[in-house]
Amino acid sequence: MKNIIRRSPVSFDSRPAKTEMRDNWTVALEYEAEETGPYLIDLSHRARWDFQDVDISKIQTWGMNVPESPGQCLFENGIIINRMNRTQVSIWHLSGAKPDVPDNPAFTDVTDTTVFLALFSKDIFSITEKLTSLYFLDPLKETPFLLQGPFSHIPCQIVTLEKIPERSGILFTCSRGYARDIIASILEAGAEFGLRPAGENVLIKWLNELWG
Amino acid sequence: MALTITCPICDKRNGYEFRYGGVDKGPRPDEEGLTPTSWCDHVHMNKCVAGIQKEWWFHRDGCGAWFTIYRDTTTNLEVDKPEAN
Repeated sequence: MKNIIRRSPVSFDSRPAKTEMRDNWTVALEYEAEETGPYLIDLSHRARWDFQDVDISKIQTWGMNVPESPGQCLFENGIIINRMNRTQVSIWHLSGAKPDVPDNPAFTDVTDTTVFLALFSKDIFSITEKLTSLYFLDPLKETPFLLQGPFSHIPCQIVTLEKIPERSGILFTCSRGYARDIIASILEAGAEFGLRPAGENVLIKWLNELWG
Repeated sequence: MALTITCPICDKRNGYEFRYGGVDKGPRPDEEGLTPTSWCDHVHMNKCVAGIQKEWWFHRDGCGAWFTIYRDTTTNLEVDKPEAN
C-alpha cells in the first residue's frame, strides 16, 4: 500500500533548515537565523481531536479529567484539553509521542481540517492587539485558558499558555481554508516586532522551560 | 455606544461577533386547531417593541452557542432580565 502524503496548509516564504518526516507529514524542525523571536510556528502536523458527550465530565481522556468549566484548559503529558462548552472539548497533542486514540465514537480526529499555530516569545501581545480585541491578559483568568473568538476576523480557538511578557505564548486553531490569509496577516502585523517563522524544536524547548 | 452581548460561555463580547436570531416568541403553538393564518402570524409577524425585548443570538465567531438576552431596542443596549418576566 502506498503512503499518503500529508501537507500542512501553512507555507512560509523562508525554507526550513532542518526537517523530518513524521506520520507522512514534513515537519520543520529548525529555520535559519531563528534568533530570539517572537516566533510563529506551524503545528498543523500535531494531532487534534474534538470530543463530545452529553455527560462529558465523567469521561477521562488518557487518564486526565476534563476541565470543569468552559474556558478552562488542562495540560498534562504533552496533551492539552480545552473545555469549549457543556458538551465539547478540544484536545491538542503538543509534545512527546502521539497517543493512541481511545476506541470511543465520541472522538473525532480534526487534524486534517484545521490549521494549528503557535505564537510565542516576547512582544506577542503587541502583535495580537493589532489583530483581535480578545483579552489575553485578563487577570481573572489563570493560564492556560481558552478563548473562542475572532482573530484577524477568523473564528479561532485560542489557548493562552503564558502571560508573562518575556515568555508569553498562545496556541490557536482555525479552519484549514483560512491558513494562507491568517499567516499573511499575522506576519504583516508582526513585521515591526521581528516576528519570524520557527521550527518545532524552539517550541518544545519553550514548553519544557514553561512546564518542565 | 457599540452593542456588546454577554455570551453565557465567552462572557461580554463585541456585538459584531454575533448573529441576530430574532425575537423570542415563546414555545411553538399547538398543532391542534392551528390555522395557516395563525401559523403565518407566529412565523412572520413581529411586535417590533420599542423597549425591552427577549431575543435569540448566535455566537457566530466564537463558541457557536445559541442563547437569549434582553435588549432595549431604543438604546440598543443589553439589559438585565426585567422583573415582570
